[in-house]
Amino acid sequence: MTAPNEKEPKSAGVVGKSISRSDGVAKVLGTARYVDDLPALPGEIHGATVRSPVPRGRIRSVRFDPSFDWSDVIVVQASDVPVNVVALIADDQPVLAAKQVNHAYEPIVLLACADRRKLTLAKLAVHLDIEPLVPVLDVATALEGSNVVWTAPAGFGEPNTNVVKRYVLTKGEVDVDAELARCAHVLSGAYSTHHQEQLYIEPQGVLSWWDDDGVHLVGSMQCPFYVHKALVKAFALEPHQVDVAQAVTGGGFGGKEEYPSILAIHAALLSRKSGRPVRMIYDRTEDIEATTKRHPCLCEITTGCDADGTLRVLKMRVVMDAGAYVTLTPVVLSRGLLHAAGTYRWPNVFMEAIAVATNTPPNGAFRGFGAPQTIWAIERHMDALAAYLGTDPMVLKRKNVLVEGDTTATGQLLRTSVSSLECLDKGSSASRYVERRAEIEKENRRRAQRGERKRLGIGASIFMHGAGFTGSGERVLQGKAAVDLLPGGRLRIRTASTDIGQGTETVFRQIASDACGVAVEDIDFAVPSTKVVPNSGPTVASRTVMVVGSVVEACAREIGDRVKTEQVEQGGTFAEAADRLLVKEGSVTALHQYEPPPFVHWDDEAYKGDAYPCFAWMCDVAEVEVDLDTFETDVKKLYLIGDVGKAIHPTMCKGQLEGGSLQAMGWALFEEVVWKDGLIQNPRMTNYIIPTALDAPVFDTTLVECPFPYGPGGGAKGIGELPMDGGAPAIAAAVEHATGIAVHHLPLTPERLFEASLGRLSPTSTFHPAA
Amino acid sequence: MTIADLSSMLFDRVRDLSALCTRVGELSDEGIPFVLLAGGTDWMVEQEMREPLASDVFPTVIDVSQMGELRGIRLDGDILRIGAATRYLEMRRHPAVLERAPLLERMARDVGAIQIQARGTLGGNIATGSPAADGVAALAAFDALVVVKSRRGERHIPLSELQTGYKTSTRAPDEIIVAIEIYLPSRNATWFWRKVGTRKAQAISKVALAAIAEVQGGQVVRCGLGMASVAPVTALLPRTRELFLSTRLDAIDDFMIDKCVESDIQPITDVRSTGPYRLHVAKAVVREFARSLGAA
Ligand SMILES: Cc1cc2nc3c(=O)[nH]c(=O)nc-3n(C[C@H](O)[C@H](O)[C@H](O)COP(=O)(O)OP(=O)(O)OC[C@H]3O[C@@H](n4cnc5c(N)ncnc54)[C@H](O)[C@@H]3O)c2cc1C
Repeated sequence: MTAPNEKEPKSAGVVGKSISRSDGVAKVLGTARYVDDLPALPGEIHGATVRSPVPRGRIRSVRFDPSFDWSDVIVVQASDVPVNVVALIADDQPVLAAKQVNHAYEPIVLLACADRRKLTLAKLAVHLDIEPLVPVLDVATALEGSNVVWTAPAGFGEPNTNVVKRYVLTKGEVDVDAELARCAHVLSGAYSTHHQEQLYIEPQGVLSWWDDDGVHLVGSMQCPFYVHKALVKAFALEPHQVDVAQAVTGGGFGGKEEYPSILAIHAALLSRKSGRPVRMIYDRTEDIEATTKRHPCLCEITTGCDADGTLRVLKMRVVMDAGAYVTLTPVVLSRGLLHAAGTYRWPNVFMEAIAVATNTPPNGAFRGFGAPQTIWAIERHMDALAAYLGTDPMVLKRKNVLVEGDTTATGQLLRTSVSSLECLDKGSSASRYVERRAEIEKENRRRAQRGERKRLGIGASIFMHGAGFTGSGERVLQGKAAVDLLPGGRLRIRTASTDIGQGTETVFRQIASDACGVAVEDIDFAVPSTKVVPNSGPTVASRTVMVVGSVVEACAREIGDRVKTEQVEQGGTFAEAADRLLVKEGSVTALHQYEPPPFVHWDDEAYKGDAYPCFAWMCDVAEVEVDLDTFETDVKKLYLIGDVGKAIHPTMCKGQLEGGSLQAMGWALFEEVVWKDGLIQNPRMTNYIIPTALDAPVFDTTLVECPFPYGPGGGAKGIGELPMDGGAPAIAAAVEHATGIAVHHLPLTPERLFEASLGRLSPTSTFHPAA
Repeated sequence: MTIADLSSMLFDRVRDLSALCTRVGELSDEGIPFVLLAGGTDWMVEQEMREPLASDVFPTVIDVSQMGELRGIRLDGDILRIGAATRYLEMRRHPAVLERAPLLERMARDVGAIQIQARGTLGGNIATGSPAADGVAALAAFDALVVVKSRRGERHIPLSELQTGYKTSTRAPDEIIVAIEIYLPSRNATWFWRKVGTRKAQAISKVALAAIAEVQGGQVVRCGLGMASVAPVTALLPRTRELFLSTRLDAIDDFMIDKCVESDIQPITDVRSTGPYRLHVAKAVVREFARSLGAA
């Protein structure tokens, strides 16, 4: 890791320019090959999954219809799995259910057949006899605990309860209740959020085959080394016997972080048993039903402040629904908790975060990773507090916002790259927040007088997102990347960071180009395959550019320096020097490992310290129009002010902020998984509603560059998840401004807004006026 | 649940309408299932959603999307005739529709999005018989006639007599929908379209109201209403219609409208919306229509 003062890019280069994407042409022309487009391998057959129709039950028997011709159908059951565990954090999830099912759609039997039509008929010829057990389907019942539906694996969770994970975070005064009693104003509220489906355009899919080397797998995924680890475990193989490569991937949003592991094992099981290559591609319905979603979350908050609105105490409980198995829940819960205090200065904090198991499909990674849930809560609470104090929310937030030199709830000293105030002020000025608020109120009065039924509103949110793995995560992970010198002075980047549409390939090339002076066109990007690339860690947690990018930068700089040294010594062009070096040394490769900045210290036990090396900051201002008859919310305009450290590729950077905000808007206004008895009622794109281009607001996006000295390209920070965090509370604040209805529970669908207008879903803040 | 069946189905085209009537009649006689394929925008979705078929029940699929006698728009005096296989996009662009039945243009603009409008047809919309059908709601407002034909001959079914229950109809299975005939209201008639869907496009209606009215001296003299997604069939709101036809506009108030709408429909809660919300919106859009006529 280079020190900050050496960070100036050597060439004026391409960082900071919106060059054309290196994956663009193939995707536009349709020549990019997603896993379903790969040509069939000799003898290849299709795989399918038979799943549980009930949320919880004991498997009495699996019967294969004797009148069906099974001769050319491969059948795999739990007894065929060498080690029936999906390796992740806790080993509680089976590859195939054997005796009991713990959520609807849990896989029980795998089938494969060359004839696709016959395969669909074969699924109907498998008869499951399952004795239903009483399921737990919501957080409150799970927490209450009389029906324990989850068995804690050794070392995990709290035995004989549904509690999968619990954290406690404290700061300042030990007795927060006593401290609350000393506050001028105390306010309590409860805020909840719902499931969200990632709805990447390309559903999950993999292709697997075996040969003398072991198992091979190509698929749509974010993290080849997670899949690798899962295959090693399930088949009890040596690491070198497993080869996992990413195919061109059509979106992930976290949905292809952990789920591909289980699908990969399924395909590899069928392939091993049949001796033939097996491809499994989910259709949209199966994908929505079976794969992970955003964790629903309930936050209860009590805060205390001074008479002038200075915040003193935050007391909070965060409860998340893990679903039936642990998967990534402890990490999601942790990130949720670490963002739960928002961008505010709290001298005294007591927070508890709990994840409970329910009989619903396991929830998992989704852009924001727990933070959107808790930021929704704290931002709505701050709006409620402002209403209670009779001040404008932006005034209250500005007064208490974290600035350089402050400490966060975990006691992290904010040393550098803190732009909360700048983002907030730019958000206010770009949107003309104060003037627009007054104008809108006047316009709404005019409309009311004329009997018009639409109302305008404006609202804002201010938020941050930690870049990279939480706490000691990066230190443990030791992410690596490599750059090879190729003949003719070309370079090849080798990392496990996948381009899933967000532009990794392009941005890494830009970073490498500026670090060594080689043109972007002369830099290749190796397909992320576990046989070829070092383990850079997963493509998650807003870490790709900031963490892996900085390693790529160090590698490229080393190669560049070595070639230039050769050039200085022996003359010639860069390419000639490179070729001489290759002849001399055989191969020229730089392999580096990520080193977190030296000041980053995290104490896992005490849950204190530097939660993240740095934060990206953002302010959203939403203008909405709400129809008082139909309660439809039309988001007219979204002002986005995001501090990205350094925009390596400004267009894609804006694309992340705008796309992420649109996804946040979908979560706020449209998206809702409708459940009935543990089953999903709307597993289709026609009834799981995401915004289309027509629903998208006009975006007014400003990139703020407050560099992180240790970030690549002159200070880039991670921004992939940031925009997901603040859209919902900004829109809800604007809806509140327009209608007077303060919604504390997502989503703000017209139906819910209508209910709230009748007082049936009343705001849950309760006021405790000062004594 | 399978598109895989498509490869096993027999796809067919016939020369003209009379050949089609014969063919459909024969298939009916032999008990062979068949479908007419127009835009395919409903049928393909159904294929994707259902269970795979046993191999002896594959339907014969007859493509009618290009059949001349089922296509085109013709204005004949005050009668507008639209071929059953005419696409929404064609309706949106046709001068006679734009001039004499702008409600249809407005409705067509809200169907799916451009891709669906380029393929989808009124014949398919009617035959599917979904209570959410936007096209049928608009046709109901016009009191349209559905022209059907079979070996037994041609007949005109008033739209109000077509639907008998959820996706059931008085049209016999071998009766082909040939066209829709509309007796146009006067040129100064008021029309109204409001679709409340799940989003701005590619949305199925939660509630949609199509309405037309001719007003003479403060009194509605012709009125038609069609409401989607609030009942097992397209709701014709008979009591509300009667209110408009029987009461001078300046005597109609919101309370009267609400009472009529409440007695006309009892919408249900489903995956798209809730019963109470639908009823609330249904009243709101009828009131909006009434206001556009100049009601109190
Ligand atoms: C993405 C999407 C969005 C949609 N949005 C809307 C919307 O906003 N509003 C709406 O109302 N609908 C919508 N639909 C449904 C559909 O597009 C319409 O109902 C359309 O009018 C169907 O017409 P079609 O020609 O495609 O029918 P097809 O699918 O070709 O046929 C449907 C049925 O009608 C029968 N049929 C067709 N023509 C005839 C005929 N002449 N005589 C007898 N039977 C016939 C067929 O045999 C079949 O059973 C949408 C569909 C999709 C896929």
